[in-house]
Amino acid sequence: MWWKITSVVLVLYTIIAGFLVPLKSGIERVEPNVAQTGEQVSIRFFGYNTFFTRPTETPVRVWLYYNDQYALRAQAIRLINDTILEATFQMPTNLPEEKSFVLLNALVDHPTAGASLLPIALTLRQTKVSEGSLDSAWTIHPVDNLHLQKGFSFPYQNILYETIRNTYFHVPMWFVLLFLLAASVWYSIKYLQQPEADYDRCAATYAEVGILFGLLGLTSGMVWANYTWGKPWSNDIKQLMTAVALLIYFAYFILRGSFSDPEKSARLAAVYNIFAFASLLPLLYILPRMFDSLHPGATGNPAFGTQDLDNTMRAVFYPAIIGWTLLGFWIADLRLRLQRLKDKALGVD
Amino acid sequence: MNWRNLLPLLHKEMVLEWRQRYALSGIVLYVVSMVFVIYIASVKPTPPMWNTLFWLIILFASINAVVKSFVRESGARQLYYYQLADPAVLVLAKVLYNAFLLLMLGGLATVAFALVTSSPVQRWSLFTGTLALGSVSFSIAFTFISAIAAKADQNATLVAILSFPVVLPILLTLMRLSAACFTPAGMPVETWPDVRNLLAVDAILVALVFVLFPYIWRD
Repeated sequence: MWWKITSVVLVLYTIIAGFLVPLKSGIERVEPNVAQTGEQVSIRFFGYNTFFTRPTETPVRVWLYYNDQYALRAQAIRLINDTILEATFQMPTNLPEEKSFVLLNALVDHPTAGASLLPIALTLRQTKVSEGSLDSAWTIHPVDNLHLQKGFSFPYQNILYETIRNTYFHVPMWFVLLFLLAASVWYSIKYLQQPEADYDRCAATYAEVGILFGLLGLTSGMVWANYTWGKPWSNDIKQLMTAVALLIYFAYFILRGSFSDPEKSARLAAVYNIFAFASLLPLLYILPRMFDSLHPGATGNPAFGTQDLDNTMRAVFYPAIIGWTLLGFWIADLRLRLQRLKDKALGVD
Repeated sequence: MNWRNLLPLLHKEMVLEWRQRYALSGIVLYVVSMVFVIYIASVKPTPPMWNTLFWLIILFASINAVVKSFVRESGARQLYYYQLADPAVLVLAKVLYNAFLLLMLGGLATVAFALVTSSPVQRWSLFTGTLALGSVSFSIAFTFISAIAAKADQNATLVAILSFPVVLPILLTLMRLSAACFTPAGMPVETWPDVRNLLAVDAILVALVFVLFPYIWRD
């Protein structure tokens, strides 16, 4: 009983916190995003969830910075509204490195609302070959004394924006799928050890609910991929893996259905379940070597866990996994009871 | 486990195949017609296309060749074999025989395919090795799945749908290995990781076959 209540509480918490907690403020883009050395240019910073006009004691500071050493600070700032500000820069006559252009990061530091950053926001081009020593504008105002964003909020990620909340719904589906399929295989092994009809029922039901969660994970992932990767299906390795897992279990149900003798059906389905699940494991090892993944944490993509999954997200993500897993087992439990009653009514048991 | 029965059982498989020559001829004709259809249909396959087509031919020919292993003898006679020999030895004999059969079919397909299309293969020794590894891997997976499917009625379809997810990693690795055979002989290619993966998969499958087969044959 307690675990059913826990699952409801955790899933409700996931939904409420997942949807209501705001995102941290960030910078969406800057306009123009190309500038030439030596010119004076006004650049508009478009913020996301920012509060540029919130009153402060010290002024808002804006930088375009290259690295820890070289940064350009805006000479004048005009706050247009909460999400747009215009900063005027006097671009130096030379670049910090011998290149034809450098990529600069945009940084806005608001004393009360906190600092927000956009990596690789602007391209600064070298117009003519620079002469003389490095312009002091690069080093005179280093990035310092940044103000942290306070409060409970999720990280802001360009391209993800609000869809970062899908982490609490899409990712746990994969966990639940694995747990349920593992439970299904466990009952298949038990059936082979001791042929009782109930073990077979358990194996089939856990596989069914596992497939349900696999489909949910696939759909929620495709919606997310459509938004962030541009198309719903991009032959990503994790998509392929899920597709293969679903194929295996569809085949499992076809096999179960193709016998008239229930004992035979249960025994052979259990054998296939173990065989197929065990051959899924090399797939986990082999496929990633062949296909690049767009998922975080693969082939050079930043992983969840370094900076993306910060403590605020963990506070929702881990309860979400537990909550969805318990919910999955509850659904399986209900189906199982229903199936037992049906079999009893039919006199099969 | 009594390994003495292995050779007589292998011999039995061969004799049986020879007596039912029409089945063997059927598979050979199947491979030849598939190659012929590709020859008529496709213009001039590029190396990646050649690779895909070749392994698809092998895949379907293998399924068709192996699917009959457990149905060509009557249930009563099979029961008799199970009393004479250990089921594990029996299934091992079938796996070995099927591996041999698939290697022959693979050789046939290679020759037939090379005759009608210009084969991009440059390293024949590596390609032969790939074919041999593929035959063994496919033989293990398909023999086991066909043992399951033999208990049901719609045999061929069932073998296909049950085994596709299982052989997918094997097929992809084989295709990568055979793509490596297209590079000129002087160029260094890294094939050991793929070979090692295939051997590991084979080891897992063989272990599963030994553990699980005793649950299949008894009725």
